[in-house]
Amino acid sequence: MKLCFVTVGATASFQKLLEQVLSSQFLEALAKRGYTHLLIQYGKDGQQVFQNFIDSNQPHHGLTLGGFDFQPSIDAQMMMTVERETLGQERGLIICHAGSGTVLAGLRLGVPLIVVPNPDLADNHQQELADELEKGNYVISSTVEDVGNAISRAETQKAQVLPRRSGNTTLAESMSDELSFLD
Amino acid sequence: MPFSLASLSFWDLLLWSFVLAITLGASILLVLLISLTISQNTNPTKTRPRGSPTHLLVVLGSGGHTAEMLYMLERMKFDPQIYTYRTYLVSSGDNFSADKAKDFEAQRVQNSQGHTHNKNYTIVTVPRARRVHQSYLTAPFSTLQCFWACLNVLRGLHPDQKLPKEYTSPYPDLILTNGPATAVCVVAGAKLIRFFQCFAKYTTLCLGLQTISPFASAPKLRTIYIESWARVSSLSTSGVLLLPLVDRFLVQWPAQAGRRAWWGMKKTQYAGWLVI
Repeated sequence: MKLCFVTVGATASFQKLLEQVLSSQFLEALAKRGYTHLLIQYGKDGQQVFQNFIDSNQPHHGLTLGGFDFQPSIDAQMMMTVERETLGQERGLIICHAGSGTVLAGLRLGVPLIVVPNPDLADNHQQELADELEKGNYVISSTVEDVGNAISRAETQKAQVLPRRSGNTTLAESMSDELSFLD
Repeated sequence: MPFSLASLSFWDLLLWSFVLAITLGASILLVLLISLTISQNTNPTKTRPRGSPTHLLVVLGSGGHTAEMLYMLERMKFDPQIYTYRTYLVSSGDNFSADKAKDFEAQRVQNSQGHTHNKNYTIVTVPRARRVHQSYLTAPFSTLQCFWACLNVLRGLHPDQKLPKEYTSPYPDLILTNGPATAVCVVAGAKLIRFFQCFAKYTTLCLGLQTISPFASAPKLRTIYIESWARVSSLSTSGVLLLPLVDRFLVQWPAQAGRRAWWGMKKTQYAGWLVI
């Protein structure tokens, strides 16, 4: 199994991204790169768009599709994009809105990550985070229209292991200092 | 001309009360600023023997804050042998955070001792400072209510707290926070208690009721704030409010390093990514 997991966020609607990842062009791009499954967390307003696609006879390009609106934790779904030979899982891909929680969870798993900021949400610091992460080659930041082309870039980027950023102190050191242990 | 109140017109009186109010306000502000500056620049002396029991208070907020906090504790290879007792503070109705804390504790105990019975932590609940969509008119009252509850937690008076006997003081040794509104109440509460302790200590010294003990006690109620990983270049509201109040302020992006509340205050420290 090679899974592409798309999450549009639970609180705001992101219909444009949903329509894009259900387009024939995008599904073909996934199939070409060996993906077998597409799972979509479509959020509170996405059910209709998703259902319309399933009901219509549009081609699936051999992909198995699944969708759900909301779950308290999407850790399990994200874990399915991690390479695990025993389960027959290949390394997949996560496409998400610029929500910091999802981006962080994706980075921690080390899977290819495409971040698509929602242009309808004027959240400055999320956009800033996406930009900064792209600058450091941690994620691919993409517009809705370009998300199909971003797949190959995201896959090649994650082929190399990126260094963790370390600073001038650590949490353990700071906590120990504040407790003022005798040396 | 002899001075008499009667000779003052209404407008003179108004003017004088204004001047008095402003002077009073300014002096209170000045005292506050100076005491905050002194407090932040006073480093505790190394007095705590290694291996002695320590009590850690972790403030958990809504989903994102809680996730980041637990990632950080996991990432630092949190050692329950050092932080021997943990209190997790959650806001009412936040079952997600409470469950996450329980999972985290269950993992720790399995890793270190191999059995599942764990008496070394509690989860306490306080009312929210401000509920989502709550009006700003009633928010000050709910914030006060939250502040009072936090003060009680700090003093070990919350009904769910059952600190083992080897912990002689009800106050936690260290407080770890990363951003929810409740964190501001907890840190402000810790500062207030420390202020009164300090005040009481110097008053008794001045009155000669007590002499300086050669054995300084280990510091209590020390506070660390970690700005969210999601904040690249600007501090969050909690961050701005806590900048003059916490003992240590850690940031995860270089552009956030070196900030301080005002001249003479401690600067924020760049700690790299603590969550990954």
